[in-house]
Amino acid sequence: MNHRHHGARLRALPLLAAALFGLAGAAHASDNKIALIPGGPHPYFAPWEQAGKDAAKDFGIAAVDFKVPAEWKLNLQTELVESLVTQGYTAFGIFPGDAVGINSTVEELTANNIPSLALAGCAQDPTKVSFCFGTDVYNSAYLGTKALIEALGGKGKIVHLAGLLVDPNTKLRMDAVEKAASETNGAVTVVQHITDTDAQEAADQKINALLGAQKDEIDGLISTAYIPSVVAAKSLRNLGDKRIKLVGIDDDQIVLDAIKDGFAAGTMAQNPYGQGYVGAYALDLLASGTCTVKADAPFVKTPQTERFIDSGTLLISNANAATYKDDLKKITTEIQTSFKDKYLDCK
Amino acid sequence: MSQNRNLTFGQRFLANEWSALAVAIVIGLVTLATLSSAFLTEFNLYVMLRSFCVVLIVAFAQMLTLAVGQMNLSVGALGGLVAIAVGGMMEKWGFPVPVAILCGLAIGAGGGLINGLLTVRTGINGFIITLATASAFTGINLGITESIPFYNLPASFVAFGTGRISALPYLLLPPVLIAIALAFFLARTVPGRQLLAVGGNPQAAELSGIPRDGVIVMAHTLSGLLAGAAAILAVAQLGSAQPSIGVDWLLMSFAAPIIGGAALAGGHISVAATALAVVLIVIIQNGMVLAKVDPYWVQFLLGALILAAVGLNRLRAVRAGGA
Repeated sequence: MNHRHHGARLRALPLLAAALFGLAGAAHASDNKIALIPGGPHPYFAPWEQAGKDAAKDFGIAAVDFKVPAEWKLNLQTELVESLVTQGYTAFGIFPGDAVGINSTVEELTANNIPSLALAGCAQDPTKVSFCFGTDVYNSAYLGTKALIEALGGKGKIVHLAGLLVDPNTKLRMDAVEKAASETNGAVTVVQHITDTDAQEAADQKINALLGAQKDEIDGLISTAYIPSVVAAKSLRNLGDKRIKLVGIDDDQIVLDAIKDGFAAGTMAQNPYGQGYVGAYALDLLASGTCTVKADAPFVKTPQTERFIDSGTLLISNANAATYKDDLKKITTEIQTSFKDKYLDCK
Repeated sequence: MSQNRNLTFGQRFLANEWSALAVAIVIGLVTLATLSSAFLTEFNLYVMLRSFCVVLIVAFAQMLTLAVGQMNLSVGALGGLVAIAVGGMMEKWGFPVPVAILCGLAIGAGGGLINGLLTVRTGINGFIITLATASAFTGINLGITESIPFYNLPASFVAFGTGRISALPYLLLPPVLIAIALAFFLARTVPGRQLLAVGGNPQAAELSGIPRDGVIVMAHTLSGLLAGAAAILAVAQLGSAQPSIGVDWLLMSFAAPIIGGAALAGGHISVAATALAVVLIVIIQNGMVLAKVDPYWVQFLLGALILAAVGLNRLRAVRAGGA
């Protein structure tokens, strides 16, 4: 009798699971093991871990794991990818440690029928990644600079604080800042681009040196990388300077506090959670073998790739500091729900 | 003695290890002050002195291993580990600031002790040992933090990192005290003299009864202790315990003692010249921003100027030798 009951329970389990997945709105359950791999350790990617867990739960994926290379070195990233392939991972979302260098690894993956996406940063065309899903860095830097110009009342001298010089996106951001400034017909000038500030100590030294030497000559700071945004917000607070306007990037608590207290005009939010969540969803569909990327999908063309999807960006200011996370969630849901129809051909 | 009396003032000045550095610093100061009126403002002097603090202790940490003819490639990695340990102890475990600092220093010294013991017990060069332990220390750092910094540090600790009296940052106090203590240790104490003796001629030192292995272990332990001290200052300076603290330390840790005339083979170091070398490096870094150097050429210019500083000191040594 016990056996019969036990057997009945066992038979009921799949039904229960199917019902639960149905209730959760999951399209299917899969055996795929997906890895989300950043370029190296960096707080920006931290939300990918939760995004992976949520995606695994919501879409019934066997595993979506966040795997971080020990350092920001392409060879360590590629070794990690290769090791995960041997461990049975079936799809990869990768922030390319090097936009061109990653392509040979991606080709190996494709040759083994393992799909991959470039997440948060793009691989340079020609590339075998299915597409790039991330922040439109040019647009984000452009919109951030426009917001700074508005905070300055349309005129003044600004300095651009940028990330790693070896990152090709840095050049795009520099161009975007210059473009936004050039649209003011000389009312706003970019005095200087300070680069390689994506490590805390280097940023502290360079940004404080800038403020020490030129704080009376500059009116605004536009930061297009995570660390200099944090350091600039902190330095302006230490200096007690609310005259110099700062627009940063990302939503570190120090930057959000600076916005609240008037030491920063705003910050450009990116959507790392959405990148991880929708990225895992898309990879699962591609790895299942039932979906392929549409030939005529409405991708955006960027200087790096012809297959780009914007993961969303918005300006956080005092007006929406309390609600921006809901706005980002809304963007993520919108992208995810329309993703299959918009970008994929599924059987 | 009588020869010294016959030397001119210029020759006596040149004979000092720090003379070329002093000249370079004066040239740098005058040039930058002429280029920008903001250079000598109170806030900019504060900014430069603040940058000076951590780099100086890092340079001393490397200088001590150079003194015995060794290298410590783990100086930055150990610093990073101490930084997150101190941050974690204060944020997660609520340790009082002095306790966290003492534990941090103990971790630094412990890391150095491991380097030293592995070096003497295995007979493998410290270069290889510290290369390996650097990776291990970084691994522990990342394993603990998963690259997320500790932000919520005690207000008094963070205030120490940003506070100042006029242009003088509070942060300057520990490196000045360390420099004085180190100068005294190397010049006036038996272990300090033994350190230089082992570096100068290990065989002769051993024949004189100096415990060579013990001295090498001591050099590594002190190096680790100073790396820990530098890390704690960096945490106070940045206001958060970042896992990336120490990543950029290695170049500066070698550049300053070597510009200051330290011999890579060991036996010869100078606290004063190393400190002046750090001043020069800080002025160069500040000048880069001030002169609005094209970002794509900053690294090149920094390297070229550091090379010029080494060359200048070498020229001085040759001239002084000739005199």
